[in-house]
Parts: sequence; structure tokens; C-alpha cells
Amino acid sequence: MPRNTLNRQLNMVQDEILILGSMVEQATRAAVGTLKSRDLREAKLVFEQDQIINEKRFAIENAILILMATQQPMARDLRTLAALLEVNTELERMGDYAKGIAKVTLRMGNAEVNLPMVEINQMAELAVGMLHRALSAFIEENANLAVAIPKEDDRIDELFNTAYSKILHEMVANPSTIDNVNLALWVIHNLERMADRVSNICERTVFIATGELFEMDGMDEEDLNV
Amino acid sequence: MNQMEPKTFGSNQEMQDAEKNFLHRRHQRARLAQSVFQLTTLLAVIFLAALLVTVVNKSMGYVVVENKVDPSTLSDRPLSELNNTELAQILRENLRKNRVRTLERAGFLEDQSQSTLVQLVETEIIQPEVVESYNLFPSLIKRSKIKADAASTYPNAKVEFRYWLNGTFLTNSMASQPELAGVRSALLGSLQLILITILTAFPIGVGAAIYLEEYASHKSRINRLIQTNIDNLAGVPSIVYGILGLALFVRALQPFTSGALFGVDGQNGRTILSAGLTMALLILPILIINAQEAIRSVPDSLRQASYGLGATRWQTIWHHVLPGAMPGILTGTILAISRAIGETAPLIVVGASTFITSDPTGPFSSFTALPIQIYNWTTRPQPAFQHIAAAAILVLLIALLSLNAAAILLRNRFAKRV
Amino acid sequence: MEDMNQPSKYAIETRGLNIFYGDFQAVKDISLQFERNRITAIIGPSGCGKSTVLRAFNRMNDFVPSAHATGEVLYHDQNINHPSVDAVQLRRLIGMVFQKPNPFPKSIYDNIAWGAKMNGFRGNTDDLVEETLRQAALWDEVKDNLKKSALALSGGQQQRLCIARALAVRPEIILMDEPCSALDPIATLKIEDLMRELSQNYTIIIVTHNMQQAARASDYTAFFTMDTDRSGIMVEYNETSLIFTKPKDQRTEDYITGRFG
Repeated sequence: MPRNTLNRQLNMVQDEILILGSMVEQATRAAVGTLKSRDLREAKLVFEQDQIINEKRFAIENAILILMATQQPMARDLRTLAALLEVNTELERMGDYAKGIAKVTLRMGNAEVNLPMVEINQMAELAVGMLHRALSAFIEENANLAVAIPKEDDRIDELFNTAYSKILHEMVANPSTIDNVNLALWVIHNLERMADRVSNICERTVFIATGELFEMDGMDEEDLNV
Repeated sequence: MNQMEPKTFGSNQEMQDAEKNFLHRRHQRARLAQSVFQLTTLLAVIFLAALLVTVVNKSMGYVVVENKVDPSTLSDRPLSELNNTELAQILRENLRKNRVRTLERAGFLEDQSQSTLVQLVETEIIQPEVVESYNLFPSLIKRSKIKADAASTYPNAKVEFRYWLNGTFLTNSMASQPELAGVRSALLGSLQLILITILTAFPIGVGAAIYLEEYASHKSRINRLIQTNIDNLAGVPSIVYGILGLALFVRALQPFTSGALFGVDGQNGRTILSAGLTMALLILPILIINAQEAIRSVPDSLRQASYGLGATRWQTIWHHVLPGAMPGILTGTILAISRAIGETAPLIVVGASTFITSDPTGPFSSFTALPIQIYNWTTRPQPAFQHIAAAAILVLLIALLSLNAAAILLRNRFAKRV
Repeated sequence: MEDMNQPSKYAIETRGLNIFYGDFQAVKDISLQFERNRITAIIGPSGCGKSTVLRAFNRMNDFVPSAHATGEVLYHDQNINHPSVDAVQLRRLIGMVFQKPNPFPKSIYDNIAWGAKMNGFRGNTDDLVEETLRQAALWDEVKDNLKKSALALSGGQQQRLCIARALAVRPEIILMDEPCSALDPIATLKIEDLMRELSQNYTIIIVTHNMQQAARASDYTAFFTMDTDRSGIMVEYNETSLIFTKPKDQRTEDYITGRFG
């Protein structure tokens, strides 16, 4: 079977994507963690490390473009590379969400704020878990696995709603902290968006496997919220 | 060749030495092969040079001429300055009555041209005879000795340097005396013969080649049989073609080849036409094979391009295949002409005359040809005949080269059209 | 043949076309429709019979004594394999450009004029030469040297001359048998541009072993491969954009991703 060069380089790019993915996972976990610990140094670290994620994203994009130009991939190879390009961008955005959460911590500083940490932690765990499995399915090009993942988004949406009403309650109950509590809305929004982007990754997985492109959860929560 | 120690590459000294040895042996073998090929070429050149030298050597040199009657006793002026009356008078005075009557059968001596009369005086009265002749090299090296010998042996003879290949040799017809014999009828016979041969063989040969290459299926058994036969016919000895020509053209087709069919008073089939057709048969296989080769060398892509444009088979052949093949076909024709002009055996069988003084008058006349003349003269015992045979060989070679040159010019014109 | 003037839906259509060389079946059961004024590429590995099929469209296989075809090749609703069809006229209407540029060893002018003259062209030859050379995007390069030998042109120019020569006999369809395999990349791209230009007025069918070329230059692509008995079969036929992004057949996928064999 020819095309060993293409295969090898494709695998390298896929490995890089997995690394990028785990960097995003870590950043998300760490950012959410600082909300509770208020470790400002850690939060600042997460905030700054987004730069590394951005650089990695550009490096991967470059590698994909070189691969396209030099190896002239067709059909499935072409779809894989196109999907990698897309997933690469999605991961970078997710990195930005984690950065946003770290920024919230920095803004709050050591102020006493009552946050719905149970829901936030659950959302973060769910989102990171979805991302992890979505990337595995993506790399394995396993459409069956990929199709199942976006359905977990419902659970995130539930948590989002619960957290949302809790935050509203808090705002009404403690108008003095409204500035900081308001920031919590950012946090749950970011986590919810992260899950949506995981769905996009799953869409790309199905695209690689079948060549078909379609929106996986028809009703994007973003349409309702904004 | 550069005898410097050649540089080799490598880090390991031992391996480098081994490789150097091996390289050395390979280069040695290459040089050996080269010298062998140079030697063979040299041999060929030597043989060719030897042939030319022998012929040229014989074709000129000193001769010792003894006149039966000294021209100065006939007239005090050179013969060429005398007028008709004086020449006729000399003839009447010195010849027997019967001879004069024979000569005057066609008309009075006085009415014939001056040059004819001069010639008559020379052949009938003066009768110069070459009593001794020398080749070119002895003539150059031992000139004084030859002159001394001649003076002592033939006190009345004159020693002169003679080019046997001269104007009179070309314009004179066959004669029994070598000094007076010429190649005119033979040369004309050969040229007419070749003309008939080419006119017959070229269209038939090219036509057959076109059919075999462009039309005939190479898989058909009959066509393969025809092809094999043509290939084999090219190697058949020429005498066999002579026998075929004798049976077919001279005997079977006598009414046609003698000209009787066309109202010509032909006595038999031993005519230029028969000989030309026989020669055509002889060179036909060579011509066909060469033409086939030439047609095959026209790239198939040209035919495809032509067919692809909606050209018919004939348009393709006429506009692309034949022009492309013409240089090759003409080269083959050159070879065929060379073969035909030098052939002797079939002409003898078909019945070329060995002694004929009249020029050929057309396709139905009897004839002789250069190779026949040469063959005839070389069999004569008198040494002078050897000289004129050499001169005739030179004529044959020059005729051959001229024909080839013409064909080459034609070929180059075709090749340049590209 | 009154149907000759009736526009049929497709430029050429084959139905169950089989081509044999002696006992060997070169291609098996090809059914394909070629859209008018489109460029259709036939791709596939060596020996899959793609050139053989192309040559069946203008009966160039007639010159291979052992070749014979069964099934139908419909052109203007007429099966061109029928003995009553005049192959000479057919080859004027369905022109061909070959793998190696093969201009005649004549001048540029004569190269174009010859085919037209052979086919009974009576108009102004100068105009015809200029028009077809312009169509073939060669006019500006050769207009001052029309009397020069065509063999002095570069490979790419020669190939465009061959295209111009084919256009001069007013064909409807142009068959191209790997027309760029002997050309450098720039000359290749020029020919591809030219094909795109010509497809406004002509139907073009191109056989190529260069997948990128098929992807770049064609509207439709047919993928041929060899069956287990080594005869050629058609695997997939679709719009080029689909064949090269999401082929349906695994064999097509393997071939165009370079994972064939």
C-alpha cells in the first residue's frame, strides 16, 4: 500500500490534535478549579497558557496546509485533513473559553461570592468528558461513537438552566454582589458553548467516515440565549 | 588518451585498490573492443583503396605505338588539316579497289564528314598498333627504361602516355582493335537498361510494399507466405533470374519483348526490354523490402493523426506515409540501381550481345551493357584489352556514382520538405 | 438516419459495450452517458481499458485487426458500431487528440489546413487557420511564423496545434487520450484552461492517468478498474466534485487516495 508518507504525517497531525485537546481539557479543569480555590496565581497561569494553545493551533494548521500542498490528498484523506483543520479551530476556541473562566476568577479576586459550584463543576466535568470521548472517536474515525456524544448535551443544558436560575436568585438576594455574580453567567455560558463545540467535532467525525455534513443537535442553545 | 593515474573515490584503501583493478580491466576491454572495430573499418578502407588503385593503375600508362604506315608518308600536313578531297584521295591510293567499293556502298567518300574520313585513314591505312603497354606505376617509376627498351625493340615505334579512358573511348563503339574500341554502345545500353528497370520496378515495388504494410493483414497466412517469399527471393542468385528472364521475357513473351506486337521489326526477344524486365525482377525483392522498411519507419502516430481527422486510408498514405517513407525508399532504390547496373550473369543468359557496334535504338533493339563489355574484354589475351577493361570499369563506376548522386539529391529534397 | 439532426440528450452514450482483442475481453459491459458541452474524464489504473473505450468512440479500434466490439455506442441515437456507419465521417465529427503531440511534419499553417482540405473545406483557409488557432489559444504565439515547421514548436504548443487541427474539421466531440502525459506542468495547465474554454462549444472526453488533472479539469469522472479476469470495468461514474471528495465505491476511494494495489 503506497502513501506511507501521507499516512505517517497524517498520524503526526492527529497526535498533535490529541495533545492540543488534552491541553484544553487541562486548562478547563484548572480554570474551573480556581473558581473555588481562588488561587489567583494558578488562574493567571491558565490565562497566560492560552497563548501556548494558540501557538500550537497555528503550528497544526500550518502542518495541515503543508500536507495538503505536498501530498494532494483525495477523498477520505482530504476530508480527514479538512476536518482536522476544523477541529483544530474548535479546540482553540475551547481554549479561549477556559481562558475566559480563568479571567472571571481574576476579576473576582478574593471577593466573597456565592456561586453554583456544584452545577459548574458538573458541567465542566461533563464538557471535558465529552471532549475527551469526541476526540477519541474523531481520531478513530468512529461515527457510531461520535453520533452518541452530542446527546449528552441535554444534561449540560439542564445544569445550565439550574445554575442560571440559582445565579438569578443570588442576584436578587444579594444585590451588593451583583457585579461578581454576573460574572458567573459567563462561566456557565462558556461551559455550555464548549459542549456545543464538542458536537461540532462529532459532526466532523461523521463527515470523515461518511462524507456527509449535517448539524447534530438541530436546536442550538445559543440561538435561544442570545 | 590520458595516461594519468585515474582518481577513484572511497575511504577504504583496500576496497579502493580492488575497485581500481576492476575498473582498469573494464577500461582495457573497452579499448580492445574499440581497436577491433577500428581495425575492421581500416581493412574495409584498404580493400576499397586496393580496388581503385588496381583499376586506375591499369587505366593509364605508357604505350608503344607502331604504325603500319607512317602518316608522314601520306601527307606532309597533319591528317586533321586535310580536306575531304585530299583524304578521299589518300584512301583511294592506299586501299584495294574492293575495300574502297565496300566503303562507298553508302555514298561517295568525298560526301562523308571529315572526321569520319580521318578515322577511316587511321583504321584502314595507318593502322596504329600498340605493341607494348605499361601500367601507371611502372610508367611513373621507370620512364627512361621504358623509353630505352622501346627504342631498342621497336625502332619505328612511338612512345606516348595514354589515358585509356579518353574522349574517343567514350564516343567510339565496339571494335576489334583495342586502340579503337569504345564503350558508347555499352554505356547507352546500360543506361537504357537501367531506365527500363527503374520505371518497371519502382512503381511495382513501392506498390507492393504499400499493400503489404498498409493494407494486408499481418495475420493472414497468405500474406505471411508472400512476405517470406519476398524475403527469400532477395537472396536468390542472379543467374536464376537470368534463366527466368530467358524463359519468360525472351521466349514466352517474345511478341511483346521483340516489339512484334507494336509493329517493330524485331527478330527475337533478346532485347533491352527483356533485359530491363529481367533486371526489374531481380531488384524487385530488394526494392520491396527496403520500401517496406521505410514505410514501417513512418511513425504510427502520424497515421493516427491523419485518420483521427477523418482522412481516408488513401489520403493518409499519399499525404503522410509516402512522403515520410520516400527518403528511405529512395535509399533502397539507390542500392537496387547499384546492384542492377553491375549485374552480368542474367544479361548473358538473357542474351546481351558481346560484340555490337551500333547504338541501341530503343527498347526493342539488341544491345550490350557495360558489365558485358568489361567481362568480354577481360577475357581477351591482348594486354591492351586489359587496359580498356579497366577504363570501362571506371566508366561503370562513374555512371553508378552519378546515378546514386541523382537519387541522393532527390532524397535530400524529400527529407528537407519536413 | 433522419435522427442525425435531432438533439439527443447525451453527446455519446454507451450501452453494454464490450470490446475484445481476439479472445481477450478488454472491457466489459460499459454503460455511460456523456453530457453535452461538458468535460468528462475517464480515470483508472493502467490496463483498465480506458483508452480502448475512448478509441471505440471514433472507431479507431478498426485499425487493430483483432479488436471487435459488441453492445452499443450511441451517437445521435445511432449505434456507431453498425456497419452502415461511415467511420471516416464519424472521425471528422468526433475528433481526437493523442498522448504524444503528433503534428504533421509540415508547416503550422498546413497542419491546420490539411485536415479541412481533406474533408472538402471550400472556404477561406487563412480565416480558418486564424480562427482555429485563436480557439486553441495559440494564435498570438505563432501568428508571425505560420510557415514555420510545426515540429519546431514546444511540446505544449504542438499539442495545442493538434487541438487546433482537430477543431479545423468542425467536430462536435473531442476525444483526448492522455493529452498532457508528455507535457510539463505549465503546458498541462494551459491545455486544461483550453479544455475549459472549448467545453462551451464542444463535448470533451479525456482519458488521463493523472487524477489531479481529472479533478482540476473535468465536470464528470468515470472510474475504471480491472476485474479479476483482467478485463476493464466501470466502477463509478459521477460528478467530479463528488468522485474526488466522497466516492461511493471503496475501489474508487482506494484508487484516488493512492491506496490502490
